[in-house]
Amino acid sequence: MSRPDDDPPDSRALNSLTKLARDTVPRPTAAELDRGLNLLFARVAAKAARRAKVVRWSLAGVCATICTLLVVQIAAVWRERVPEPTALAYRVEGGSVLAGGYLRDSGNAGIRLFFNEGTKVEFKPGARGRLRSVDKEGTRVVLDQGSASFDVARSKERRWLVEAGPFSVAVKGTFFTVSWDPQSESFELRLQHGSVVVSGPMPGGDIELRAGQRLLVDLPKQQTLITEEQAAAPATSFAPPSSANTGSVSSAPAPVDAPTPAKDAPGTSPSSTVATASSSSKLERKSSWADHLANGRWDRILEEVEQKGLDATLESAPSEDLFALADAARYRRRTDMARAALLAQRRRFPGSSRSVDAAFLLGRVEEARDRARAISWYDAYLERAATGTYSAEAWGRKMVLTNELKGRLSARPIAEEYLRRFPNGSYARAARALTSDP
Amino acid sequence: MSKRLSQVSLSLVGGANHRDVSDSELARGLAAGEAWALGVTWHRFAPMVLAMARRALGSRSDAEDLAQEVFLNVFCKAKALREPEKLRSFVYSCAIFGLKSELRRRKLRAWLLFLAPEALVDLDCRSTDVEARDLLRRFYALLDRLSQRDRLVFSLKELEAMTIEEIAEIMGISESTVKRSLTHALARLSRWIDADAGLSEVFDTRRWQR
Repeated sequence: MSRPDDDPPDSRALNSLTKLARDTVPRPTAAELDRGLNLLFARVAAKAARRAKVVRWSLAGVCATICTLLVVQIAAVWRERVPEPTALAYRVEGGSVLAGGYLRDSGNAGIRLFFNEGTKVEFKPGARGRLRSVDKEGTRVVLDQGSASFDVARSKERRWLVEAGPFSVAVKGTFFTVSWDPQSESFELRLQHGSVVVSGPMPGGDIELRAGQRLLVDLPKQQTLITEEQAAAPATSFAPPSSANTGSVSSAPAPVDAPTPAKDAPGTSPSSTVATASSSSKLERKSSWADHLANGRWDRILEEVEQKGLDATLESAPSEDLFALADAARYRRRTDMARAALLAQRRRFPGSSRSVDAAFLLGRVEEARDRARAISWYDAYLERAATGTYSAEAWGRKMVLTNELKGRLSARPIAEEYLRRFPNGSYARAARALTSDP
Repeated sequence: MSKRLSQVSLSLVGGANHRDVSDSELARGLAAGEAWALGVTWHRFAPMVLAMARRALGSRSDAEDLAQEVFLNVFCKAKALREPEKLRSFVYSCAIFGLKSELRRRKLRAWLLFLAPEALVDLDCRSTDVEARDLLRRFYALLDRLSQRDRLVFSLKELEAMTIEEIAEIMGISESTVKRSLTHALARLSRWIDADAGLSEVFDTRRWQR
């Protein structure tokens, strides 16, 4: 055994121990080797089985993952393919839809709207209203004056809302007739079947009506009356749509939310119009105050104004909110605040359609204080919107006020003009009285 | 004859026909997953691996466990053997790697337990007398105190009678490193033996004459 050069001097004991260790270990016997080999085979087999198991589980995991991904993908594709509520389409008979969704009758038989979902709306002769929005989520119809019947088809996806003056009626599958007289500020709803929730300036907040009930609200007298009537079958006044009356097709709904003066948008549709509203288009941008207004939460709007400060609100609020504030203030008899909001509307947004409407509403507000000034506001409105939404009302109020202030002689030309323009209008009887009397 | 590894049953394989195959053929058989190659490889190299592991570790059971691991490793990595004729060196390398791992594991275990485990010599030497067993226990206790590399170099050189060159090649270190490790191991072992009164007395009085 070789030793390195720096081998320690005394290694005899180490050599002896090394030799002992080397010689003591026996060679493994054949039996030991066979036992070891058997054990080795067992371990090899176990390892192969373990590997196969791992492979199986890995494959199972991969398959499970693939299946999960497939399911997710299929679900996503399916969800994309599930048709969203189809866009509402409607056909108008007896009138046409002007810009801004205003409904204009072409005769004396009222206006009828037939929606593709089955809903039917009929504006009685002399009634005025507009379609504020028609989209996949539902429809908002505004009844400015007169009476209208609604036969709303049941739908889980769509929500129907009818606004009449300060009142709003939430509808889900029902048939009812609603009337609103802006002169007397009286609201009436007759519910034939189904149920509706009416919001508005009524004590106790929202009112839910059942089939056969009739709601009468007289705002000046602050009276709310609910009476039980015999539930009637759905009205049959909806004549089947006549193909002869079907007019041209307009692919997009009227896009404006406020009344547009006729001279700004004089183009009228043919007497019968089919309009569709795609899911992406909304006739109106919703603001929180507009929602409050639609749901009869006037006090909430006023509270928010008081918190923020009236002056700051008048200077910073958007046009729509100013309009909502004016309405809320009018409904709560806060005429000063309503006047301020309307004046702010005209000052800050002089070119907008709401500014024109504000002139009419200022006339309404001023009637209680200064009738001559009210007449001048009506004139201002009629100058800008001779055939606007409130033109009949403006002519009528101007006629009444002129008669009160200056006598019949002065009011007669106005009455004649009114009858020429609106022979079936709500002031027609008064106008005829003025023109017929000596 | 051409049974695949995954189909091996728990029976001895490797008939006389394969006993005399060369290392190259054996390596190729292993690479192909032939069941006979496993048995032949075991019978050809297991005695050497078992003896070396027993002498290096001083434990028969540890040596058997180590041999199992070594041959499992050989079987798994046989496909990667680029030079089949060097199967013997490959098995040695696997054995040395296994020994290193085992010695490292022992060191770590001792460090974690804060106490060096008592050297339990289990060499299955039934013919060895009590005094010889005691000497071996003391000797392996001293080996446990060496570093892993010094101990391995000492074992291969002194117990397996390998040359410096062989050790350097099989351990993958330079010859000078082998010499340095060996010198270091011998010096420390000699010093520890001198310091051990019991051991010194045995050899000083020449009571130990074998």
